Amino acid sequence: MTENLHSMIATKLEEVGPSTAVAFEIKIDSYFDAVRGILDDFSSGKDLVCVYITASVPSSTLNAALEALEVKVKDLRFVDCISHTLMASMEDSENTAFVESPTMLENIILKVEYFYRLAQGKKMLVVLDSVNSFALHNENKMLTEFLTILTNSLKAKEAYPVLLAIPDQLRPETRETMAMICDVIIPL
Amino acid sequence: MAKKGERGRCATGIEGLDNVLGGGIPTSSIVLLAGSCGTGKTTLAFEYLVRGVISGEPGLLITTVETPDRMISNLPRFRFFEASMLVKSKLSIINLQEIIDSAGLSGSDMDEAAIKKLVAVIAKLVVAHKAKRLVIDTIDSVLMEIKDETLSSMLMADLSAALHRSECTAMLVSSAEKCDRIEGRVADGIIMMDNLERRWVLLRTMQVVKMKGTSHSRSRYVIDLTDAGVLVTPLLKGGV
Repeated sequence: MTENLHSMIATKLEEVGPSTAVAFEIKIDSYFDAVRGILDDFSSGKDLVCVYITASVPSSTLNAALEALEVKVKDLRFVDCISHTLMASMEDSENTAFVESPTMLENIILKVEYFYRLAQGKKMLVVLDSVNSFALHNENKMLTEFLTILTNSLKAKEAYPVLLAIPDQLRPETRETMAMICDVIIPL
Repeated sequence: MAKKGERGRCATGIEGLDNVLGGGIPTSSIVLLAGSCGTGKTTLAFEYLVRGVISGEPGLLITTVETPDRMISNLPRFRFFEASMLVKSKLSIINLQEIIDSAGLSGSDMDEAAIKKLVAVIAKLVVAHKAKRLVIDTIDSVLMEIKDETLSSMLMADLSAALHRSECTAMLVSSAEKCDRIEGRVADGIIMMDNLERRWVLLRTMQVVKMKGTSHSRSRYVIDLTDAGVLVTPLLKGGV
């Protein structure tokens, strides 16, 4: 089942191709499987630069979890919007850009732009984890504006914008926003 | 490429700013880069000079507060900056005090004659360095020595004329938080830099208030100072 989920995610992303905003609706118990499918099966397989925007779990925790799962992603970058807020450890690293809070939405766009510049033309996969966390910290109007600008700029760069969401915990207005912004919503 | 009857552009090389300006600053303009401390004025002005060097336009930086060495050490380490730019005189950094001393203006009042002399020395330096880009950081230090507004206005006008002759485009850094001072009224362009507080966190912002000779966005943008340069994105409208 787990292996099916991995390969299914990679197949779906392959099918939709770049410049398409995709949302994966995941169940909380398949969270790491989904992340693994995106990062390991898809991103590494296609030799993409992966920018992982996290507002849910600090990048250090995610990194440790990926290591424990023996997932090695060559070009993985983090935009960590939660460590500051949690006062978690923020080790200086070329692969991680810290944003003070998940409310500093413009700074998140700028950090993605930063990694895009460093990628020097290499194709990018940008994962936003998660719509739920951002909805928790931001009003819906702001979130809509942010997701619109972020996904459209990524589409223009021929990147792969991927949004993660846990559907059971989404407010109706956030669900509407997601439906409006994403080209494809895939329930897992 | 400028259209017929349109002034040429000095593309700053700062991608987001050039987009806001519709391609760059009209050549030979004097642009005031104004705003309170910590807003990124010096970093943006320095990138403007470095990008100029990369595109083949030598630059001249006149510092008035910090020594050249200290200024360089405080700036972000741009990935595209090379120390050889300084050695090969493509980017020259001079302290204002050296200029004042060489013009024999030390200790003298900034009267009309002194201002003319000062502008003449700066113009000479621009020609000598073949500078197409000039930054004075900060212009406040020069203007605060001048008590009479008419003389301040004259300094700006004379500087503008001298730079126009050399086809040199200038950024004058100022700590003014409003653009109603004499330098703002006389400058061809004004870029306001600011700190915007949102939920107790500061965002750096940039807004082109005025730019003669081009149509431009007057929206407010958020900037980030990185080693890959100054990055620009629109301020989310729901966020103010």
